[in-house]
Amino acid sequence: MTKKFNIWFVLSFTISLFVCIPIITVFSSFFQNTSNYYEVLKDTFLIEYILNSLTLLILVLIFTFILGTGTAYLVSFFKFPLSDFFKWALILSFAVPPYIYAYSLTAFFDNYGTAFTILTNLLGDGEYNKIIPKFNGMFGAVLSMTFSLFAYVFILSRASFLYQSQNLIDLGKNLGFSRFKSFFKIILPAARPAIVAGLSLVAMETLAEFGAVDFFSINTLTTGIYNSWIAFDDLAFANRIASFLLLFIFSLFIIENLSRKKAKYHFNIKGGFKQKEKIKLKGVKSFSAFLFCFFVFFMSFIFPLSQMLYWTIKFPENLFDLQIVTLSLNTLYLALLSSVVLISFSLISNYGNRVTNNKTLNILSTMSISGYAIPGVILAVAFITFIAWFDNTIIKSLGFLSIKKVFFGSILGLVLVYFIRFYSLAFNGIKSGYEKINIAVDESAYMLGYSKRKTFLNIHVPFLRNSLLLIVILISLEIIRELPITLILRPFNFETFATTAYISASEDLLEAAAVPSLFLILIASIFIIIASKYILREHNE
Amino acid sequence: MNNFFEVENVDFVVGGNTKVKNMSFSIEKEGDIVCLLGPSGIGKTTILRAIAGLEKIKNGHIKLKGKVLSSEKINIEPENRNISLAFQENSLFPHYSVKKNILLGAEKNPDNKDKKVSFNEIVDLLDISKILNQYPHQISAGEAQRASLARSLLSKPDLLLLDEPLSNVDQSHKEDIQEKIKKLLAKLKITTIIVTHDSYEAFYLGTKCGIILNNELKQYDDPYNVYHLPNSIEVVNFLNRGILIPAKVTSPKSLENDELGTITGNFVKPFPLGANVKLLIQPEDLEHDDKSNLQLQVVDRKFRGTNFIYTLKTMKNLLLPVFVHSHHIHQHDLEEKFGIKRPIHIEHLVCFN
Repeated sequence: MTKKFNIWFVLSFTISLFVCIPIITVFSSFFQNTSNYYEVLKDTFLIEYILNSLTLLILVLIFTFILGTGTAYLVSFFKFPLSDFFKWALILSFAVPPYIYAYSLTAFFDNYGTAFTILTNLLGDGEYNKIIPKFNGMFGAVLSMTFSLFAYVFILSRASFLYQSQNLIDLGKNLGFSRFKSFFKIILPAARPAIVAGLSLVAMETLAEFGAVDFFSINTLTTGIYNSWIAFDDLAFANRIASFLLLFIFSLFIIENLSRKKAKYHFNIKGGFKQKEKIKLKGVKSFSAFLFCFFVFFMSFIFPLSQMLYWTIKFPENLFDLQIVTLSLNTLYLALLSSVVLISFSLISNYGNRVTNNKTLNILSTMSISGYAIPGVILAVAFITFIAWFDNTIIKSLGFLSIKKVFFGSILGLVLVYFIRFYSLAFNGIKSGYEKINIAVDESAYMLGYSKRKTFLNIHVPFLRNSLLLIVILISLEIIRELPITLILRPFNFETFATTAYISASEDLLEAAAVPSLFLILIASIFIIIASKYILREHNE
Repeated sequence: MNNFFEVENVDFVVGGNTKVKNMSFSIEKEGDIVCLLGPSGIGKTTILRAIAGLEKIKNGHIKLKGKVLSSEKINIEPENRNISLAFQENSLFPHYSVKKNILLGAEKNPDNKDKKVSFNEIVDLLDISKILNQYPHQISAGEAQRASLARSLLSKPDLLLLDEPLSNVDQSHKEDIQEKIKKLLAKLKITTIIVTHDSYEAFYLGTKCGIILNNELKQYDDPYNVYHLPNSIEVVNFLNRGILIPAKVTSPKSLENDELGTITGNFVKPFPLGANVKLLIQPEDLEHDDKSNLQLQVVDRKFRGTNFIYTLKTMKNLLLPVFVHSHHIHQHDLEEKFGIKRPIHIEHLVCFN
């Protein structure tokens, strides 16, 4: 393609630069003064923050690996009762964000909670509170995140298992491997890049998690950032902790990117691919496989859903107190508006990258898609820092009125930060769609007299239609579940299901948090069911 | 007289690397077909892409109908050139059926009355009626290539560029399609540049052939001349259709080789008497004669359907190719003796220093 400075370059460059703002802002905190809080914290809690974050990370990674690859292996290689159902039902766990899982855990196991009621109804009065285990603190947070996030590992490793050829399995048999040995020597290593990719996503989400750790009062780097901003009003220090967390996340991000490249290599098997035949399990093995998958499905989806449903029925007044229509409209409004903005700009920047093929732009785009790795709390804080700086140094010096009101506590500010957070989702989704369009297709269009604009509108957009629909669903799903950004930047009196649930829970009104949580799960489930149709179809191709 | 198309002193570059240097060639008349031949990776596709406007050029200019399309300062956008490039790989729009893809070609120059061709005519010609309702991912590479060619033909361009147009088409279709394309291009007077590695395709389709070797256009001539009168040892080696043997110029019309004796003919390029040269011997140059006293050993025999090509070894280990019609009364096995008619007469004596 001809390389020239054109409007597509300018647009793509501007979009990518905008998305990079939080990274620049966070790292610039090293050059700013912080309050005494930094000194106090450095000597006291900082180590605790780091240790807690690491403990959480390691435990969640171990458990999600076991649950994710275990269930994916079973549904990909074997037939047993409901195996086809579990294939997509296990993805439903995405509908339950970790903080809602945390509410369910507490609601069930707490003193005089649901477990207590069940035991009392079954066995009569008793001192059950002493024998019911308590899933508080670190372990509660680990469980919440494990059951809420394992689906990342499940989806990616299942996709990888699906693409494993029967030839590979036959090779194991030929070498005299047992099924157990085949799994560890052939299947698992071949799926390694996909599993690592899944685990990296889990790691990023775990480090970014705010709602669940805040609910269980665990001090992590993320809550540290929030506290240093809210309690001590020290934005510079919040950004400084954020930069430590970011460096850590970037390392994971690089590992994930590298492994994805390898994964691509593994998936592109041309010729010699033989569709696997699933092995039909019988007897104890069949029952065990069913039991394992059912346990994971039950714990990750049915348990939180039924707990929330139970409390909604038990405390119906909360249902009537809640403005469900307003909350639904608010949630969907944010989801759809953000999706439209994200899709439009991501399309432009992707196309800009494609037609200009400029190295600077490519590097900037790679940096800009790291927004997904940045915790929502950091993004919100960085955004506020940047706007405050921009307003104080540029806008005021030019003699204009303050622009803070335009961005703080406004839908515009909220959508802009969503944009940065979920830009990679839209950008990468469109990019992978674009990878299926050979560059010769564009050039053929030019040969037919199509301008770049006409090629974009008449050739690319119609081709990408299905990918775009899937991206809208995925972005909407993320925004429905999103908590910290919405919490920090939402306009006054503007609530979503997520913020309503959080506010009730933080006021120790867990039963009131049940109704918005239930609606959140139901709406998210609908989006997941629609999305799973695409995800499963893509993988079967 | 103005040429219809002209490439003048152009350096063709891709990603900063010069692929072909200082290239000049022209197409005099509208409707002529030029074939560019060369080994893989030499830059043939780059040339087509630059002519189409998809790559910039360094030095020189490219002109079509007297108008500069590309130079160091001018670069007309591809969509404004009325040039059509049919790509080697599948370049059909993936979300449109084959029929819709081809019909998009017809939208480019609907008012061009000089070049009248119907959709059905092209579909029949390229034998793609059965795949019209299918989508690009459902058809074979050869079918995609023909569909892409149909789209390009229907767009009735001033200049058609074909990049290995039949490389994925199976042999049974190939000759038939070559014949039909040649007739159609002549009928529509569509000037065409074809890039190919198939010398037979180039010799059949081309009004002119260009041989690109070692980053430059080595020879640009009629197909007959390129084959029979190659202008350099590189071209001889590339076409791989003969052998160079040592000989001494003994008169204005003869040479002498130690083993083959006197060889008579007309020198393509004059050489001084007594000069030691390398003489090109092509398979058609030597004649078989069982009764000849020049008997050489058969070391290889290739059956090519209409003919055999024998490889004969001389005492000094020269390996000479000899063409024999396959209906020749008898065959010679390996290790057998094979007679060469003497005296040897070659119409064009192609010699190099």
